[in-house]
Amino acid sequence: MADIRPRQNNLGIAGWIWAGNYKLERYLYILHRVTGLGLILFGIFHLTATTVFRVQGEAVWKDTMAFLDNPLFRAGEFLVVVAFAFHALNGLRLIIQELGFALGKPIPPIYPFKDAPRRKRLLTLIIMAAVMVLVIFFFIDFSAGGWG
Amino acid sequence: MKNTYLQLAQMVSGALVAVLLGIHIAVQQSSVILGFFGVRVADPLAFSSMIERARQGTWVGIYISLLSLGLFHGLNGLRNILLELNFSAATMRVLTALIIVFGIIFLALGTYAPLVLLGR
Amino acid sequence: MSSDSEKIVIFKIQRFDPEKDARPHFQEFRVPVKRGTTVLEGLLYIKENLDSSLAFRTSCRMGVCGSCGMLVNYSPHLACHTQVEEFHAKKLLIKPLPNFGIIKDLVPALEPLFEKHKSIKPFIMRQDEAEMETPTAEFIQGIEDLDRYLQFSYCIKCGLCLAACPTSASDKSFLGPQALGQAYRYCADSRDGGQQQRLDIVEREHGVWHCHFAAACSEACPKGVDPAFAIQLLRQRVAARALGAGKPHNPAPLAATPLQVKPRVAVPEFTVKKP
Repeated sequence: MADIRPRQNNLGIAGWIWAGNYKLERYLYILHRVTGLGLILFGIFHLTATTVFRVQGEAVWKDTMAFLDNPLFRAGEFLVVVAFAFHALNGLRLIIQELGFALGKPIPPIYPFKDAPRRKRLLTLIIMAAVMVLVIFFFIDFSAGGWG
Repeated sequence: MKNTYLQLAQMVSGALVAVLLGIHIAVQQSSVILGFFGVRVADPLAFSSMIERARQGTWVGIYISLLSLGLFHGLNGLRNILLELNFSAATMRVLTALIIVFGIIFLALGTYAPLVLLGR
Repeated sequence: MSSDSEKIVIFKIQRFDPEKDARPHFQEFRVPVKRGTTVLEGLLYIKENLDSSLAFRTSCRMGVCGSCGMLVNYSPHLACHTQVEEFHAKKLLIKPLPNFGIIKDLVPALEPLFEKHKSIKPFIMRQDEAEMETPTAEFIQGIEDLDRYLQFSYCIKCGLCLAACPTSASDKSFLGPQALGQAYRYCADSRDGGQQQRLDIVEREHGVWHCHFAAACSEACPKGVDPAFAIQLLRQRVAARALGAGKPHNPAPLAATPLQVKPRVAVPEFTVKKP
């Protein structure tokens, strides 16, 4: 009986995405991570395009732009900008709250409990509203100008 | 202490990149809406307009800051995610070295290209 | 549901016997449930009437010992603290707490939790070793000092927060919300003088900087301890110290021993007098 090793029960990376029924802030965390990784991936392509392809002269540049001028890439570009809007604004909220500011004071736990992130939900919702405003702004710009 | 300084740098670079990238996107993409506000920006994707910007000190400054801060923020973030996967210390050292090399390569590429274009 | 009507709820429980099973499987039990029946009472009914081999931890049955943590319908609960009626469901899915090893059925291996808790030195530390070993008087602590850490002292070490934490899901070495929250509880306690040592410990790799404020730990906590809040406040102290902006920490003074005190009322003689 003393030799029984407990069976592994860690959720692993899947546990980042979903580990149970939790509230908004848990999913803002994974969205922040996903948008960050997406921005890094886009950054690699973008930096390659604007350096390796740009230095080779105007002709190569025009070819690259022509290659990228299709609906799939344009939609991808829009997604990248949306990802940036979310990552930046959520990041600003995280900088403030992760350093302990804008979270209020400790209170005696009286049931039903309301923890600090939920007491300060208003700030989170304001940030989310700002993200939505930016998304709509960029969407208008995207559909109007085409971002060609 | 090292971890704390890295994380504080992550936060500061994040805030700065938010501003610089915001400017970058606004200029590159939002020509239509900026047009409504009366800001006329020549087609930013045309080669000539890029060369024009590369000649102006402010733009060069903005781009190089954006590049270096953005690379630091992104790659440090990636390293944090990799740290959470609980690799061995040796593997982590290798991954950190790879990330630093990757960052240096892209920083070099990103500063070299505008300088070359400036020279032409 | 009127107070004496009974209905049947199906408990779908994850079973795993390390001596017999290669992998966990589910088993369903039909449990009679009345108004006010807790999940723990349901489990005890199963153990007493349906399958005595079902293994789970239980002790106080009133939400103070932290033994009966388990995942009920995909969120961590203390079984004794949770009524079946809360779920408004005909079926309850009960699994052991994730991010801990499974010893058997619903029994998690909580040793990592206790090791991490021990590693942050969860006790009052003072310079005066003699006073720590043989205390002579109390430390003076006012109500405001108490309020600064009281909420975080209600932790019962049940481990529900580590089950909820996304970082704990992938990183076994991560200290976890329980240890980090308690590190703050002791740093914020005005009687304590060990902040420097604790901040050194939590600043290391797999320490406080791997919390990403998903705040699931505070959601899961059955005692309202709010470990997410404690961790952000801990980070404030870590960052302040690194930037040289930390507040100087003067631990609470020892109360002066009253010397010239005469009791106002004569203390009654309680000892049994010899005849």
